Amino acid sequence: MTERINISNLSKRYGATVALSGVDMGIWPGEVHAVLGENGAGKSTLVKILSGVVSSNAGSISLDEEIIRPSSIIEARRWGIATAFQELSLIPNMTVAENLLLPRASSGRFWPESKASIFERANEVLIEWEIDDISSQSIVADLTLAQRQRIELVRALSHAHCLLILDEPTAALPDTSWLFRQIRHVTSQGVSVLYISHRLNEVREICQRATILRNGATMGTVDLEGVDDEDIFSMMVGHESSHKNKASQENATNKEVLLETDQLASKMLKGINLKLHAGEILGVAGLEGQGQQELFRIFGGLHKPKSGEIKVGNKVTSLNSPRQALRVNPGIAFVPEERKTEGIFPSLSAAANISIPNFATTGWAKIVNGRLERHLAAEAASQVGLSTRYLDFEVGNLSGGNQQKVLLARALMTGAKILVLFDPTRGVDVGTKQSIYAMMRHFVDQGGAIIFYSSELSELVQLSSRCLVVYDGLITDDVAANEISEERLLASAHGPVNARKESIQEAV
Amino acid sequence: MTIKKMADSGLMIMVIYLIIFAIYAAVQPSALSAYSIQGLFNNSLPLMLAAAGATFVILQGGFDLSVAGTISLVNSIVAVLQFDGAIGAVGILGIALTVGILVGAINGFVVAYLKIQAIAATLATMIICQGIALLILRAPGGYVSDFMAYELTGSVLEVPVSIIVAFLVAMLWFVFRRTNAGRNLLAIGQDAKASELSGIDVARTKFFSFIWAGAFYALAAYFLAAQTSTGSPSAGEPFLLLTFAAVALGGTAFGGGRGGVTASLLGAATLVLMQKFLFSIGVSSFYTGMVQGLIMILAVLFSGAVQFVVDKRNIT
Repeated sequence: MTERINISNLSKRYGATVALSGVDMGIWPGEVHAVLGENGAGKSTLVKILSGVVSSNAGSISLDEEIIRPSSIIEARRWGIATAFQELSLIPNMTVAENLLLPRASSGRFWPESKASIFERANEVLIEWEIDDISSQSIVADLTLAQRQRIELVRALSHAHCLLILDEPTAALPDTSWLFRQIRHVTSQGVSVLYISHRLNEVREICQRATILRNGATMGTVDLEGVDDEDIFSMMVGHESSHKNKASQENATNKEVLLETDQLASKMLKGINLKLHAGEILGVAGLEGQGQQELFRIFGGLHKPKSGEIKVGNKVTSLNSPRQALRVNPGIAFVPEERKTEGIFPSLSAAANISIPNFATTGWAKIVNGRLERHLAAEAASQVGLSTRYLDFEVGNLSGGNQQKVLLARALMTGAKILVLFDPTRGVDVGTKQSIYAMMRHFVDQGGAIIFYSSELSELVQLSSRCLVVYDGLITDDVAANEISEERLLASAHGPVNARKESIQEAV
Repeated sequence: MTIKKMADSGLMIMVIYLIIFAIYAAVQPSALSAYSIQGLFNNSLPLMLAAAGATFVILQGGFDLSVAGTISLVNSIVAVLQFDGAIGAVGILGIALTVGILVGAINGFVVAYLKIQAIAATLATMIICQGIALLILRAPGGYVSDFMAYELTGSVLEVPVSIIVAFLVAMLWFVFRRTNAGRNLLAIGQDAKASELSGIDVARTKFFSFIWAGAFYALAAYFLAAQTSTGSPSAGEPFLLLTFAAVALGGTAFGGGRGGVTASLLGAATLVLMQKFLFSIGVSSFYTGMVQGLIMILAVLFSGAVQFVVDKRNIT
């Protein structure tokens, strides 16, 4: 038997960032093959290349021993490759029928096909894939998220004659039985399935083999029968980084509480209770989209919670704007992840960028004193390790790492005692990371408190004096400093089932 | 019919038009004569066609400033071509459309394939076209054949030619929006990323939206020449802002994806009708712009309110 699809040494760069650096894998006809990896391991880039959204820089893909290079969705479909995307690619104000049949909703050659006939054809597709609760005439925007997910899946199923790619197909599905029935149906006809999910029990139920990616490269392909979850997790994080190498930190949980939430709920959050103490670096771990982003934006005053309380310095407060968050004693400074769009003023100098909060809070009609500005900025810059020669540069011309330092210096400048950092080291180089870590440790030594989210587990392990794990809008695990390990965090992040198993093992 | 469908279908602007027309007719009974209706539509047609063209680009989420330049250029070309009779008029129409489509193709290529910002690219073509127009026709004047000046502004079987043209454009849109090209155009305006992932060729669809726009601008310039019996190298300038006002009044969203060409035709007709009406009751023309702006704000507010209600209902 020859492999249906073979991927060899596939690589992709975006500018200076390497997304894939040598992925090798193969899928048999009729096999359901899982791709596993941490956030940022390269899973979605792999999906994009296979489905024709982006093209690779090196390496090859062969389908039934013929080299292919799909350059658009339509071309990939011609090879029989179809994808159900994680971020659902449906047009909201169009009918289900139109969405299923795009880009050729009307089959008429010289005259547009009648609506009735389009609905009829779409109905046949819906019936073929056992969907009886969604009318082909309904508008997609009126459907629930789960219904939309099924339409996205049906569209991929109906086009996939060789390879079906499913990227987190069950993220919005309450029940997997329908999907798994359809998957078994297509595989019985020889279609291969590439299945991406962070839910390991599902992967074990439907997939035969799994390929594990780390940092954009294949770590190996395993038979799921023969490995247990711990082996998979350690392949995902890598052995060398699983041991801890952090400075000893005293327990800060008996110090003063600076920030506290009680049953905080919003669109994604379902009741968050947490306490942040002075002198503490509180890490937050979680897979993408578990609600951590909303939590941090609420602290930054950018997002309003639906219910629940926030106490800052023991007083109940509402954080309606970033300005209010800064002013509420002892002050919250939020550094968002999207520094390009939400953080910097690219055409102002670094000094101006750093000292802006100072001028924003002291008065609106004061004349900005250039020397004072530079002096203030230099102080903050030294704390984050930003060389003073960059102060006069336009921030837009600095490297990503230095831009991040500018943002952090600005947060320090505000005088806030609570730093809220969302993925502060995303996309910065190793040297910058070290100076950011040093700044964070120094900040809490001075009596401040930091709550930070990171997509890199090794960073959470290294820095946190305590680490929370969020899953599906709830805090599912609270790991003390001496228990933090990448395996533990990763297991908890994959759902409460794994976390419980872990803690049982410890109890034994 | 839901309130949302009403707002989307251009019914609202139709109602606004009829109300203003009723008031106009009450104040000025002679407005109902066949002659004045013909005159009203002749005056409205160029703006209606320009707005129809701009709608194609705005629906895909783009922006096209070249309307002013294209109309000036084509209007000047029409005025220097000395072809007489029906055949001559058809020949000039062909040349006009070719020029319009050419300008549209340049816009489309630069925006869709070279990925230059639409505002910057079409501003450049607008300026270039205005410059070429001045090379072709130094000053207002030129020659427009009797056939164009009289037959194209007259009536066929008691129906004004301009109404027939507007009706044909509405029919064209009725069919076009049901074709794959039309559906894809609206899909891109709603969500370009999702459209791409759905397999739509986004660049090609954008490219053709500019071609449609260019062709309609040329048509507008052609009928403008017929209506004024003359050409002018700056004929398009008044159209720049009024075109966008007409599209907005018709309820087409500037972010793309919502609205239609027929609604823009009616929006343009409403703007011209307002001008006539205010003139007839003796309001100084200084106030015309203010009133037009006010009506536009009200129309946009109303369509925004409808959208808000619909969104709210979807969430709960």
